[in-house]
Amino acid sequence: MTKKKVAGGILRYVFLITLSLFILVPVLWMVSTAFKTEAETYSPNPIWIPSTISLESFKKFFGLYNFGTMTWNSLITCIGSVLICTAFSCLAGYGVTRFKFRGKKTFMGFLLVTQMFPSVMLVVPFYSVLTKYHLTNSLLGLIIVYAATNIAFSTWMMTSYFKTIPVELDEAARVDGASSFTIFRKIILPLVIPGIAAVAIFVLINGWNEYMYSSVLISKDSLKTLTVGIVSLNTQNQVHWNDMMAASTMSCIPLIILFMCFQKYFIAGMTSGAVKS
Amino acid sequence: MGRIASRKKQPHPGQFDKYQHTGYKFISPSLLVMVLLIVYPMLYGVYLSFYNTNLVNKWKFVGLKYYIEAFTKPEFYTSVLLTFLFMILVVAGHFLIGFILASVLNKSFSGRTIFRVIFMLPWLFPETVIALLFTWIMNPMYGILNSILKSLGIISSNISWLGSASLAFPAVVAVCIWKGYPLVMTMILSGLQSISSDLYEAAMIDGANKWQQFLHVTVPGLKPVMTTTIILDSVWWFKQYTLVYTMTGGGPGTATNLISLNIYGTAFNDLRFGKAAAWGIVVFAICYLISKLYRMVLKDD
Repeated sequence: MTKKKVAGGILRYVFLITLSLFILVPVLWMVSTAFKTEAETYSPNPIWIPSTISLESFKKFFGLYNFGTMTWNSLITCIGSVLICTAFSCLAGYGVTRFKFRGKKTFMGFLLVTQMFPSVMLVVPFYSVLTKYHLTNSLLGLIIVYAATNIAFSTWMMTSYFKTIPVELDEAARVDGASSFTIFRKIILPLVIPGIAAVAIFVLINGWNEYMYSSVLISKDSLKTLTVGIVSLNTQNQVHWNDMMAASTMSCIPLIILFMCFQKYFIAGMTSGAVKS
Repeated sequence: MGRIASRKKQPHPGQFDKYQHTGYKFISPSLLVMVLLIVYPMLYGVYLSFYNTNLVNKWKFVGLKYYIEAFTKPEFYTSVLLTFLFMILVVAGHFLIGFILASVLNKSFSGRTIFRVIFMLPWLFPETVIALLFTWIMNPMYGILNSILKSLGIISSNISWLGSASLAFPAVVAVCIWKGYPLVMTMILSGLQSISSDLYEAAMIDGANKWQQFLHVTVPGLKPVMTTTIILDSVWWFKQYTLVYTMTGGGPGTATNLISLNIYGTAFNDLRFGKAAAWGIVVFAICYLISKLYRMVLKDD
């Protein structure tokens, strides 16, 4: 029995380590390439550990390619859309779970249907409408678009969080004569902070990783976001893979740090709604 | 998911009837954003779809021409069929890997957290980064994939993975499976954890073996999560654009020309915005039908 268990345990580790190689080899290859010189990048035999650790590509990240500005643009856009989405989805989540009103079912159904919209279907109208209001080539325009594309899922996530807060809390406060908004802000909101964190992370990741809208709506170099900047390296005449991998590594680091700090909320953000409903 | 509202009773049925208007106040910001920025652009898209237009100086009314073309001209429906094949392979891959990993990681053993973090990594990487990374890995001259396969004796000469019409599609599918399985894995994992251990104990007392436990406890317990996950995953990957566009641009030829890439090209390369809008609406209808179909098939008995 024990022998069998030990063997099972070893087998599990062998299995997991083998599978994790499929994840780790590509990731390590990215990091390794990022630290290579041009010559070692294009060596016919793959070099895993560069003979000289070159920081040239990382210097270019901030210097030549001006990715500092692009990182800043990505950050601003993300923060803007996170603020809009968390605020609005909290209000809506509270409204949906606490009040009865006509059209609620339609509203909830509509939230889901918006998930079916192909983003390519919206990109043409977005482009046309935003051009009309001079919001292309503007980070504000991009913030609005990111908020719009995320608001439905955010609202839906927040709703499932508000459902877990007993309505008796509201009733007690209401007896004490507090207004709906006061109850929402002072009593209920502090209880759904984990939900807010989950929504914020969800919107942040989507914004940080978004490519299509950004590439269509922004053409000015000084306003480009990080993902667009990195991809544009691929279309230049001479492709510098070490520079591109350095930029890629840099763009992943913030999310990995975020993940390490807020692992619990990450998982909650991904699974909320699906599991709770 | 949307079903909950209709199936279950609302948790707090209408005790605040007189506050009906307050409910509207709370949802209004969210609703306003969606109406102004989703519904209005969408209706504008419908309007565009009846015109042959470049959005600048050409506005010719063509009626339903583009919709009819979508079903009669192969350039649209071959692309849709390719996308269906892509979606089925990618989603099946996600569920296969997601399910295996979730059931292994659901048991407690030392080092579990480390493995969980490792297997989550692909989800954290931007699609553009993953696309570039694998383009580099599959590079025919300096790519690590060729050299690994050569050293294992699987291939004898370098292969141009993304440059070959027959290999580009499977290569892209593999990368998309790599990117997307963590979401499915996490969903299944949290589904597994929501199944009470009492149920397994009860099944064991009734003399059920491992396989029977799986069939009669695990599968029904996972069904609600699976339904949601499979719908979202299918729709999301049916609409896939960024990863495939960055890796192959739809090529070589039309080997990886998924419908989203096709529509994008029609709009921003050919400047045929009306046609692109019409096709976008057809794709929306398809995504909607996919979700309906799944719900019918996976409906609780």
